[in-house]
Amino acid sequence: MTDATITGAHVAPRSVPRLRLAAAEPWLYLAPALLVVAVWTYVPLLQAFELSFYQWNMLPRSTPRFVGLDNYRNLLSLPDMRQAVVNTVLYTVGLLPLSVGIPLAVALLTGGLSGRLRNLYRALIFVPMIVAPIVAAILWRWLLNEDHGLVNAWLAGLGLGKIGFLSDPDVALWTLVWITGWKLIGFSTLLFAAADSAISPSYVEAARMDGASPWQIVRDIRLPLMSPTILLITMMTILFGAQWSFVYINALTGGGPLRSTTNVYHVMWEYGFKTMAAGWSTAAGMLVFVVFGLIAIGCLALMKRFAVYDE
Amino acid sequence: MASIDITNVHKLYGRTPAVRGLDLSVEDGSFLVILGPSGCGKSTLLRMIAGLEDITAGEIAIDGRVVNDVEPGRRGCAMVFQNYALYPHMTVAENIGYALKVAGVAKAERRERIGRVAAMLGLGDLLDRKPSQLSGGQRQRVAMGRAMVRQPGIFLFDEPLSNLDAKLRIQMRLEIKRLHRELKTTSVFVTHDQVEAMTLADTLVVMNQGVIEQVGTPAEVFRRPKSRFVANFLGSPPMNFLPAGIDRRGRAVLAGGRAPWPELTFDLPAGSAIEIGLRPGDLGLVAGRETDGAIPFQPDILEDLGNELHWHGTVEGNAVAVALPAATAIPSGPVCLKAPPSAVHAFLGDGRRVEPEAAPIPTPKPSGEAPWRATSLSYT
Repeated sequence: MTDATITGAHVAPRSVPRLRLAAAEPWLYLAPALLVVAVWTYVPLLQAFELSFYQWNMLPRSTPRFVGLDNYRNLLSLPDMRQAVVNTVLYTVGLLPLSVGIPLAVALLTGGLSGRLRNLYRALIFVPMIVAPIVAAILWRWLLNEDHGLVNAWLAGLGLGKIGFLSDPDVALWTLVWITGWKLIGFSTLLFAAADSAISPSYVEAARMDGASPWQIVRDIRLPLMSPTILLITMMTILFGAQWSFVYINALTGGGPLRSTTNVYHVMWEYGFKTMAAGWSTAAGMLVFVVFGLIAIGCLALMKRFAVYDE
Repeated sequence: MASIDITNVHKLYGRTPAVRGLDLSVEDGSFLVILGPSGCGKSTLLRMIAGLEDITAGEIAIDGRVVNDVEPGRRGCAMVFQNYALYPHMTVAENIGYALKVAGVAKAERRERIGRVAAMLGLGDLLDRKPSQLSGGQRQRVAMGRAMVRQPGIFLFDEPLSNLDAKLRIQMRLEIKRLHRELKTTSVFVTHDQVEAMTLADTLVVMNQGVIEQVGTPAEVFRRPKSRFVANFLGSPPMNFLPAGIDRRGRAVLAGGRAPWPELTFDLPAGSAIEIGLRPGDLGLVAGRETDGAIPFQPDILEDLGNELHWHGTVEGNAVAVALPAATAIPSGPVCLKAPPSAVHAFLGDGRRVEPEAAPIPTPKPSGEAPWRATSLSYT
């Protein structure tokens, strides 16, 4: 009897803090993730938003000066920014054939291969993916060098003139598109090949029984069933393509010649970390954030509308 | 309508044989069922007829034309897959009409033919649905419709009912039977379900390990199984097998020295080992410890299935099941089993069926004197 009361008395006070802990428990588990997201994404986003209304040269001793919407007004009227926006669109459009078109074709054409041959092509096409971006940039700089580069040597051998791959304002952007895309082909091909092999073979067999030709099977069965992956990679290219090219712009051309290879991300970086115009940089960042946010929402809606999922 | 002739067909996967030298012909308009355990090569055979698998050796001809190298879509076959393989991104109407679409049939005619097939299968209200919005039975019907819309010469069914629940399976089985009666399209149906096989088939083919064990009407295959495998595979509970030896007079002697069927003699050397097969339904009960011509039974478990009783036990250590009418009074004391000589199946050591010399004449009175008893006695 006494024993029971003693145990009861012991249990009662202990159960109170445990109850409180239970309520907080989910938040404790979430805390690390929330903290990281907050510290590295949302706090900087809000601070950038605030900073975009100030003029500040990032020197600790100078005080930011409130300028209202001036930064935005200036940016939008600046020819530099317009050029960067146009180039961003060109990067994105130029990347699509490399990140979606060619990989999709390769995956569809090689879907029927088996055994060693398939492993070989997969290895070959995946190699660029594992080369570090900066290494790739340097390799391409050597290859494309106007005077000593291998590519121009081959072109000369074929009796063609030299091409200023990185120095001709009409060509430089497409060179960077190619290098960015070259790095992506392997990754996309892998994803498309995975999506293709995930299609139940019985659909293809049913279509063959229905009398469909190989091309009709691609058009009517395989492509629609790969649509989630196709749309995903298209969306990623649209949203991140211009970002992916940043390393190569920075390492190979610095936005030149004649600003022909710059894009919004490079401009943003230049304002912020070259000219130390924090207000301009953050204002550009906010604009990019809003525009790409809207594009992302549109893409997600399109995906919901058009992707076919096999249950 | 079309006939199929399969001549000495082999299929190897790498070095593993799946089908080993198979000959079979399917008559125009018949319903052929291929029955066998999984891995026996039945689906492979069906897929070779369809053109979805290459033929390693041999010939398959449809309506007399060798189709070994003809594309699946040009063989005049339509197939119903086990998982239905309905295109998930197409509506029911598009699924049914896809074959017509790729064949270039005009839209109006397409709609008309889809409508006709859908009406036949009761799918009229579902034409705009996607497969994911259909029940199992409805999907099964759409798969049937997709096969029917082309008016093919041959229907190929690859275990089409195995994904349905028991009740729906019976319903769809009847529907397939009814459709075949109406359309009279040559059909090849692969299954591992013996009830489906028995009920649907005009001709039943039992396959095992890549070869045909027996071809015949379901009744023939069930009543006179050509091999121990066929005997064991068909029937539920399966046939009982009792080891036996042949004595000097050619009679089968069971363990314990009993020869319950002295009238049956086999043209086999004395001492040969055979197996006696008895269907559970052919066995009757005799109360008592030891009766002439009866086999002592050690009962174990009694199952009441409602319409039947299954009594499981042993005879001299061999598992034996007896199927009895539901109203049977179960004796409480020792019990023996009795089977008429006409119910006895005998198999050699290699599994082949062996017939007794004088085929037993079914007699209305088992106790009546049979004319061949004298012959058998004259040996003594």
